[in-house]
Parts: sequence; structure tokens; C-alpha cells
Amino acid sequence: MKAMLCREWGEPGILRLGELDRRPLQPHEARIRVHAAGVNFADSLMVAGKYQVKPAFPFIPGLEAAGEIIELGAAVRHLKPGQRVLAVLRNGGGYAEEIALNAEAVVPIPDGMDFVTAASFPVAYGTAHFALTHRGHLQPGETLLVLGAAGGVGLTAVEIGKQLGARVIAAAGSADKLAVARAHGADELIDYRQESIRDRVRELTAGRGADVVFDPVGGDAFDQALRAVNWEARMLVIGFAAGQIQAVPANLILVKNISVIGVVWGAQAERDPVLVSRNLAELLRWWETGRLKPEVARSFPLAEAGAALEALLSRRYAGKIVLEA
Amino acid sequence: MKAMVCRAWGDPDTLRLDEVDRPPLNPDQVRLRIHACGVNFADTLIVAGKYQVKPAFPFTPGFEAAGEIIEIGEAVTQIRPHLHRGQRVFAYMRRGGGYAEEAVVNAAALVPIPEAMDWATAGGFPIAYSTSHYALVHRARLQAGETLLVLGAAGGVGLSAIEIGKQLGARVIAAAGGPEKLAVAQAHGADELIDYQHESIRDRVRELTDGRGADVVYDPVGGDAFDQALRAVNWGARMLIIGFAAGRIQAVPANLVLVKGISIVGVDRGAESQRNPGLIAEGFTELLRWWEAGRLKPVVGKTFPLAEAGAAMEALLSRRYPGKIVVEV
Repeated sequence: MKAMLCREWGEPGILRLGELDRRPLQPHEARIRVHAAGVNFADSLMVAGKYQVKPAFPFIPGLEAAGEIIELGAAVRHLKPGQRVLAVLRNGGGYAEEIALNAEAVVPIPDGMDFVTAASFPVAYGTAHFALTHRGHLQPGETLLVLGAAGGVGLTAVEIGKQLGARVIAAAGSADKLAVARAHGADELIDYRQESIRDRVRELTAGRGADVVFDPVGGDAFDQALRAVNWEARMLVIGFAAGQIQAVPANLILVKNISVIGVVWGAQAERDPVLVSRNLAELLRWWETGRLKPEVARSFPLAEAGAALEALLSRRYAGKIVLEA
Repeated sequence: MKAMVCRAWGDPDTLRLDEVDRPPLNPDQVRLRIHACGVNFADTLIVAGKYQVKPAFPFTPGFEAAGEIIEIGEAVTQIRPHLHRGQRVFAYMRRGGGYAEEAVVNAAALVPIPEAMDWATAGGFPIAYSTSHYALVHRARLQAGETLLVLGAAGGVGLSAIEIGKQLGARVIAAAGGPEKLAVAQAHGADELIDYQHESIRDRVRELTDGRGADVVYDPVGGDAFDQALRAVNWGARMLIIGFAAGRIQAVPANLVLVKGISIVGVDRGAESQRNPGLIAEGFTELLRWWEAGRLKPVVGKTFPLAEAGAAMEALLSRRYPGKIVVEV
């Protein structure tokens, strides 16, 4: 089978299409013919050797994939060949034609969901849902500020914030991106190329500030948001897409009684797979009832995974980038 | 009445004993004859002009006091019908004023104290114990069986955090500078001790937790001690920012917060008591029940007469004394 392989740390362009032997299936495993794989910021970190997990070479990146089951281990009872599924791949492997994995990590997808949508679904929605409910305890009527609001994970935070009854302020870097955030339910918009996040959030909240901040961007955007939060706000640290890692002055955390909260959904998935599967099943039900509208900005063929990663890093697209195999 | 008065920003010795007018009594207030006033780090900040609130001169510092009620405002019977003249109480005083013979306090903020609690103990009780209770119960949600690391463990708030941590069923690691301080921490229930003049907080906490790290960190010290503790926390840990007694305000690298899935949690108990007085009052009910059952042992490290409040503040800043420093009036 074909896969995109990483043989040394480097830029996305270092990935090469290679031919690999299938490994035999263990009794508790399932083999999936991958039709689509989601592209995530963490993939670029993994290829650069900057991720918390450093796999041995050669390895295949890709933390989420969707496809159909083509083979099942003898001990697997709850799945059947031909079934359409998605999977979260903690250690990568999605940028490939096939993947073999623990059948417990495989989630059936609704009939009406295509593979591209399914492959874009679990990491972004799973992260936003886990962050806003379990880590941020977002309450109905609270104000949620989403930074990087038009990115793959940002848009899911806008939608889930609305589902949870919050007022959502979306901040992003252009009018086009903000239009997408609006279409996904954002109540208020801030263009941070033109406006101060701090001043606009204060204006929009009658001076109080946001109750919860969802931040996959980091750097200056975080620093501004830190100065536009309400008493007892929760600031969710999701990532550093802007490329700069902020240092948070502890006195500002103290005087406003706020919490700065790290969110690693992947690690949570490993520690509490039952919670994560239950939440994913609930999110898929929300999708079936039309409450979530996944946005796929662009898809690339498997062999162009490097270009797909570059597209993600360029931050030019609103929504998810997906590979089709 | 006599009071210690601040007329210019400066060091503690800028305070002067003065004869001042009795403050007027609002209908919802009571007047206290103060017997003891706890000394807090915030007092030194407010006198230096470095506190978040900058009062107009002249002002009298002192955020907590114990005393007896000598006058009751006319509306108080509706708010707190059981308060009476001669009653022994303590209070958190949001606007200061404790370094004085008398003070007027909102009736809602008064807490009657047990018969057996002496004035010095009562004067130093409210801020340390309610800060630690609010921080550990409401902000960190410390669970039985978790490991609590207390920095500055022999200070007033640190000792109260050890005791409350033990009441909540945690294993408590106390970190302080020097064997005398650690002996006090141990006497108050600490399970493990780290002398950070000689040992690495990071290495010792890891050793003591089989490499996992602490679940909750209680930090009134800040600076280097925080930076070390940040590298010795468990997955999902909560780090409570109480203050910066070491004098350096740390900046927290957000990537470390992210990769360990931890929370950095600010604790401003004074502001909380204004926004949510019921929560703080409930805390006092539980704390005084524990005290009466002998489960809390407040330490007064040293007392000073009112006229020496400046020296009392210097004593606090020196970090030489365990427990609370209290001014007796």
C-alpha cells in the first residue's frame, strides 16, 4: 500500500510517497481502507520533530482518517467489513491508503456523511467540545471569544459555543474569514488586522470582557485577549498557530481571578478513551440533526500531503484541509 | 482615637502613630474596638503605592482585625439581628483601617468568634485561612488522595494551606527555606518536607511522587519557586497563584501549560469576598468548626504593639517568622 513517509525531521516538503508492506492484523484490530485524512497543525510539528510525541523513522503522519473496513481481527465483534468509519490516530498513520489499528478506536459514521467530511471531523470538533465543556465549563449566556475563528478548529469552537448557549465573538484576520465565521453562527466579529481585540471585546461586552477565550493562535492575539477578559475568565490554550509562544504574566492571572488552561485533546483521548468516544458519538448526533456544519476548505490528493500542510500553515483557508487517498 | 497613618508612599517605617477622628458610622455598619490586627503582604504593597487599590492620603492600612462591637448602626438589626454590643468578632476589611484602636466595618462582613479564641489568633485568622480555603476548595477543587505542594509553607497563608490540605484528605508536601520553618510545617501536618535552600523543588517533588508530580500547587511565593514547581506537576495539575512574596513576578510559558494539560489559576480572595460574600462566609463557618474541633492550629509567630506596626511589617518582609505577624492594640 502507498503512504506518505517521513524519514527525517523537516519542512512539509520532506514527505515522500512510498510503498509499504501490509502488516498482519492482531486479533483486536481493524484494517481500514482510508479514503480521506484530516490535516492538522500537529502533523507539521510531528514532521518537524517538535511534537511531544517523536515517532521512530520512517513514520506516517496523520491524526485522523475516514474510510471503510476491509479486514477485522478474530476478536472484533462490534464492526463489520465494508462499514464506513472514522478514527483518531494518536500516533499518526492517516496519510496512507490503509491503516491497521485497535478496533476500540474506530467510530462508525452516519450514512449521510461523506469521507472527506468525516476525516475532517474528530480532531477539530473533539478538541473544541472537550475544551469548552470539560476544561472551560462554558455556561449558557456567557461570552466566548474565539481567536483564529475561521481555522479548522476555530470554526468548530464557534459552532459548539453556540450549541452550548454562549454569545460568540469571532476574531480572525480578514473580512472573508469573518464571513465564514458569521455563517457558522458567530454573533460578533473582530478583524484583528484592522481592529484591537482588546478594545473591541471590551466595547462588545460593555467593559466586562469575555468569560471564556478559545485560543489556537497564541502570541500577540493571546496577549490582547488577556487584557479583555472578565473576572474569573477561563483562557483555553489550544495551540500556537501564529508561531510565537506567549509567556503569561502571573500578576494578571491573579488580579482578575482567571485561569489559564492547557488543552491537549489527544492526550485526553489516550487517558480517557471512553469519555472521548462518548463525546464523539454525541457530536456525530449533533451533525445528523444539522446542528454542526463542518467546513472543508480544500482537499489534496495523498501524494500532495506536503502542499496540503503548507496550505494549512499559510492560514489562507477558512476551515479544514483534507487529503483524499 | 489612635491609628497608624500613611501620608506618603514608602517603606513600612513611613507609618506614624497619630490621633485621628473617629470615622462616622453608616446605618449598615458596626464600630469595633480593635484588639488585634493581622499583618499581610498586601499592607506593605498598599503603603508602597504598589497595590491594585491606591487610597487617598491619609489612610490607615490593615485588612483584617478582631475586636468587640461597641456601636451598632440602625439598619444592622435587619441585616444581622444577632449582633450585639460587646460581642467578639473578626472581619476582613476590604478598605483597610485595621491598624487602629477602632474601625467601622460593614455588618455583613463580621464573623462571631469562638469564646476560646484569643485576640491575636483571631486578628490573624481571616485572610490566611479563608484565602487557603477558597483557593483549595473552590479554585483547585483539591480531592482526597491528591498530592498538594505548598510553597512558602511556613508563612501565614502557607501553614493554613497545609492544614486545610490535610483536612481535605490530600498528601501534603511542604517547601520552605530552612529546617526551623520546615519543622513548623511538619508540626502542622505536612507529610513531606523540601528545604529549597538546599534541595531542588523539581527533583524532590518528582522523587516523592514516583515521577508523577504534584496535582495541586499552592504558591504565595512566585518567582523561581514557581518556575521549579511548574516542572514538577502531574498531568491536569492546578497551580494556584496566591502572591509574589519572593518579589519577582513570574511569566508562565504557555507551551508548558499546554503540553501537560494544566491550569494556572489566579486567586484574589479579597475581590471574591466582595462579589460572592456568601461563599466566603460559608468558608468561615467550616473553618471555625474545624478550629473548635482542634483541627486547625493557627500560629502567631510574633506580635507587636500598634505603634510598632512598621516594625511588624518589616518582620513579615524578612520572612524570618513562622505563621502570622499580628499587631496588638
